[in-house]
Amino acid sequence: MRISFVGGGTDLPDFYKRYPGRVISTSIDKFVYVAINRTSLVDKISARYNFAETVDHPSELKHTRIKAALLDMDITKGLEIASFASLSQGTGMGSSSSFSVALIKALYAYQGKRIGKREAAETAARLEIELVGEPIGKQDQYAAAFGGFNIFQFNANGSVDVKPILLGYKSAFEFQNHLLVFFTGTARQASSVLTEQKGNIDKKFETLKEMSDSVPEFEARLLKGDIKGLGAMLHEGWVKKKTLSSNVSNSAIDGLYEAGMHHGAWGGKVLGAGGGGCVMFVVPPSKRVAVHAALVEKASGLGMKNAKEIPIDFIQSGVEIVHNSDKNISL
Amino acid sequence: MKEFIRDFAKKVEVCLEDLPTEEIAKAINIIQACYERDGRIYIFGNGGSLAIATHWVSDINKTIFSHHLDHPGRRFQAVRLPSTESEITAWANDVGYDMVFAGPLRNYLQETDVIIAISSSGNSANIIKAAQLAREQGVPVIGLSGFDGGELNKLSDAKILVKTEKGEYEVVESAHGTIMHLITKYFKDYFDYLVEYRAAK
Repeated sequence: MRISFVGGGTDLPDFYKRYPGRVISTSIDKFVYVAINRTSLVDKISARYNFAETVDHPSELKHTRIKAALLDMDITKGLEIASFASLSQGTGMGSSSSFSVALIKALYAYQGKRIGKREAAETAARLEIELVGEPIGKQDQYAAAFGGFNIFQFNANGSVDVKPILLGYKSAFEFQNHLLVFFTGTARQASSVLTEQKGNIDKKFETLKEMSDSVPEFEARLLKGDIKGLGAMLHEGWVKKKTLSSNVSNSAIDGLYEAGMHHGAWGGKVLGAGGGGCVMFVVPPSKRVAVHAALVEKASGLGMKNAKEIPIDFIQSGVEIVHNSDKNISL
Repeated sequence: MKEFIRDFAKKVEVCLEDLPTEEIAKAINIIQACYERDGRIYIFGNGGSLAIATHWVSDINKTIFSHHLDHPGRRFQAVRLPSTESEITAWANDVGYDMVFAGPLRNYLQETDVIIAISSSGNSANIIKAAQLAREQGVPVIGLSGFDGGELNKLSDAKILVKTEKGEYEVVESAHGTIMHLITKYFKDYFDYLVEYRAAK
């Protein structure tokens, strides 16, 4: 999965067809696993996630992405697909697209084909955006496929430039130690927020342009180790993002955000499209305990039952095949 | 004689000043990702480059953890190819010298792995065969080359080229030795830091 810092929302085609969209994000130590098992002797399709489905033909599946992927690849029988994840969906850390990228990688391997990071990202984006019709962008699929700290630039012709941020381990640890990710306890689907946001792109074009243009500055501050400055930039980005759509924030999220800022955070934002999920803060280590305590108290006061901190570590790896027992892979 | 010594040192110095820092950083990221997914690092080369490969394997497997030999955490796993003399001679004698790396590599290679190929000319047939095999299997290639980089530089994901006149093997191999130690030191420091960081947590 991933956390994104600035530029979210500029990965939607209505924006990047007019002006280059940019997002800076890093992959983190939370994973989605997809397991595929060939059942040559059983002519069914099974999908196991939060629910379990067994059907005669993929067109009968309720899981929209598995259904669309199998139909598109013309895989109609003899397959079990199961998924596992470190976190439930809707935390704003890109788990849905991490799932899609893993699913695509796995289904290609199942067919004896190896695909690279870019192809996995593009195929997963096509699955989610074109085949399933979700109103989302492409940043999450790229983040999941490539792994590491990157800037993704979305060009008018649909191509995506991937620029790795070559951050040494000390700078990465230093920044990571200043981050505090707090789950609001409420899952949300990006699509619900992004549908309204998409409709507002014309009106908010200048704001989105500023968000895209702030990405190189974020990179510069990151490489310089100006963590306080990064906090300030996240805060500015969050203030801008809230104007994009009425449901990016709500009173509960605002309450948590203010509590964090009031107790010493340098800045922060909601992870993902907004409307729930996680609030992330940049906090000086000396204030960490105080900010954490304030968030817990505020969450409890707001009746957020499942609210809690989610510890995160940055990682470098992207989508991988962990195990392949299929002899069909051409070696 | 002093002039010769100074001239040689100067040539190496020029190469070191112009090290492809971005490509070396990319290589570090590739190795980092391989460590995270518990993959293996296969290193190989011919002649002097094979000596660098062997040295590097030892550094990755042991030197990086020198301060923490009792630490129970995950270690790097590096393997010099081929791992036995019998395999070199078997492949060379029975099949051809161009298969001494790709032949054994095919037995092991998993998508979670990384290869580090070392070739001053960047054009040794056996190195190219192995790099092509890795590419076909979606395995990242870190290529250390010299002269104009040759075919290896084109096939690599991290293109670590030490640009020199053709035939400057000694200069290229000296710079490759430095790059090997530089990357080793990075991860040695990283691992020291990681152990302290986890202990503090």
